[in-house]
Amino acid sequence: MKSTRVTLSQIKKLSQQGCTAHNWKSVTLSPQCDLSRFRNVAFIGKVTVGKNGGSLSDGGTEMPCGIYNAAIADCTVGDDVRIANIGSAIANYFIDKNALIENVASIVAGADATFGNGVELDVVNEGGGRGTKIINELTAQTAYVQAMMKHNDAFTRNLSTIIEKKAKSHSGPGHIGTHTRIVHCGAITNVNIGAHAYVHGAQSLENGTVNSCKEHPTEIGEAVQAKSFILAEGARVDSGAILDKVYVGQAVKMGKQFSAENSLFFANCEGFHGEAVSLFAGPYTVTHHKSTLLIAGIFSFYNAGSGTNQSNHMYKLGPVHQGVFERGCKTGSFSYVLLEGHIGAFSVVIGKHFTNIDAPNLPFSYIQEGEGISKIIPGMNLFSVGTVRDGEKWPKRDNRKAPVKRDLIIFDVFSPYTVEKMRRGRDELIALSESTSKDKAYVTYGGLQLNRLLLRKGAKYYSMAIARYLNDKACARIADAMEQSDDWNSAISLLKPRSRLKKLGEWTDVCGLLTPRERLATLEEKVACGSCGSYDDLLKEFQSMYDNYRADEWQYVYETFFKEYNIRLDAITKEQALAAIEEWQKAAISFHSMILEDSKREFGPIAKIGYGIDQSDEAMERDFTAVRGSSETNSVVQKLVKEGNEIRQRYTHFKNKLTTSG
Amino acid sequence: MTRREIAQQVVKITARELNMNAADIKETDNFAMELGADSLKSIELVAAFEEEFEVSVIEEEALKVQSVGSAIDFFDKLLNKQ
Repeated sequence: MKSTRVTLSQIKKLSQQGCTAHNWKSVTLSPQCDLSRFRNVAFIGKVTVGKNGGSLSDGGTEMPCGIYNAAIADCTVGDDVRIANIGSAIANYFIDKNALIENVASIVAGADATFGNGVELDVVNEGGGRGTKIINELTAQTAYVQAMMKHNDAFTRNLSTIIEKKAKSHSGPGHIGTHTRIVHCGAITNVNIGAHAYVHGAQSLENGTVNSCKEHPTEIGEAVQAKSFILAEGARVDSGAILDKVYVGQAVKMGKQFSAENSLFFANCEGFHGEAVSLFAGPYTVTHHKSTLLIAGIFSFYNAGSGTNQSNHMYKLGPVHQGVFERGCKTGSFSYVLLEGHIGAFSVVIGKHFTNIDAPNLPFSYIQEGEGISKIIPGMNLFSVGTVRDGEKWPKRDNRKAPVKRDLIIFDVFSPYTVEKMRRGRDELIALSESTSKDKAYVTYGGLQLNRLLLRKGAKYYSMAIARYLNDKACARIADAMEQSDDWNSAISLLKPRSRLKKLGEWTDVCGLLTPRERLATLEEKVACGSCGSYDDLLKEFQSMYDNYRADEWQYVYETFFKEYNIRLDAITKEQALAAIEEWQKAAISFHSMILEDSKREFGPIAKIGYGIDQSDEAMERDFTAVRGSSETNSVVQKLVKEGNEIRQRYTHFKNKLTTSG
Repeated sequence: MTRREIAQQVVKITARELNMNAADIKETDNFAMELGADSLKSIELVAAFEEEFEVSVIEEEALKVQSVGSAIDFFDKLLNKQ
């Protein structure tokens, strides 16, 4: 931006328009500046202003660029910027072209500001110990390894150095990005605001960064108070939200007086009304209701019912208890979980639980309370239509539009991570069943009461789900291989996995990213020894895990298929392949039928309670159908019906292909 | 087993699992609507029937059973087919 020092004639004109300067020699203006567009401006320190001939609008009214009724201290103001009616001052900022700043109390940056970068959050354990530093480039994965991998001193130390270095790179004068609009706000102190962001009516913003981009502008709305925070691209925080030490990820929505402290929220989370404390909210953590407190826990793909609450404080050594809710959990209205607790993936928690639950190997379970006793029904959520719907909706509701999607997400509900847990769960249930006398009505499992009769039932559900997954994956690969080669032996030779990992039975969920534990252990070693020494290196490692997921998954399927059926897939016979598709079809049809039955219950007699008040049965039916539709018209049910047909078609197609191939 | 014997067992197990008086259970009772068996309790009931009759049922077929009478018919058909 070319600019020149103001001349005496210019100073005279500016002075006549109410402008002052501590030192006019420190004021430089673009030669194309329209001097009439400076009114009552106090220039303090070194100030540079670009051309100002254009106009900008907020709410439809075109307003001229320029600076009006404002004190500007040590700032560089880009081309075609409008600054008007600033309560005290804008100080120490670079303001990019086409920015609009109007009716704001102050925008001030200190010389040593890092704009929220490097702030340490006490997540998961409110008492501390899982300190996680936030930076502009934070991802669910880089936060996870900071918070959850504290067992290796060298790793922790080096990781902290990497993060701190990245945090310091963000120090300097404040920055307000191009096409940013900041209107009707209170004090803004040490806050960077990215390109195309829209900040309107915020009450106070302090020590933070609003990352934003043209593709997905970030928005902060009315009455928001935020301190020590970072917002990622496409986040929207409005309507009285209160944030203190918070990271808000891409496409997160937050508002309606939601308050959060020491908390992380990653892609597509939603927080309204309730409260979060020391929360590690992985992707798709959703809490919409009043009286809901999520505290001292790690969640992802989670839905909180109203009044959901956890307890992290036993009035002994302080609030030091932590909770792990693996991906896909739901908690019903007014559910309560005593921490420490570890809930298995895709489980549903109903009622109040005063026992320490530890059931990671029983995923897809219902955990319910009756007469003060916590009970588990293993595997019951496998055939809930809700689980199916969730699995389908998450990828479709990925609202991130920024060019770089920071959080790496594997959406699969059935994956080596959940299937391996089901294998462990199945084996544990069978062992318990064999060792439990028929005289006993219940056994205790992970602090929960488990009906003895459900030991075999749960194991059966898990076996069905394992069979469906393994045979589905195997048959899909066989079908692909047959497309590539007409010769059977050549085709099945393609099924040899290209991944060469040693411990494929151990998987982990790095907050949305599923990967073999071996890969995470390798990363840990690399960071600990210094060979992964920069933040970019770290991101590349996680990207590599993400890119290798399908290959790793196939190695898992290959090896687990052998464990389950004693068949090596690269030596499978046609008869065995036929048996595999039959096994898949049997399990798939069985699950499908149960899910369909579950969905039809949504249209059964209980669902009709309260419809057609004080009217005839016929009117009740009509009222229900008008509001809820019927199983014949419901899109989810009809989709399920269609899927049932597809299962049969796939079976027939595969069988035909198998019998006609060479 | 005769249908009558099966019916006695079904009612006895239903009463035990739902903590009810067997005399209050009728064949026309719907498990969910009249007896208050939610879907969780239904699974426990099916597991109890399986153990009592020493059979393994096809889950999706068992879930279609809505009333005490249809449960009796279901196990009558299953046991007497075997």
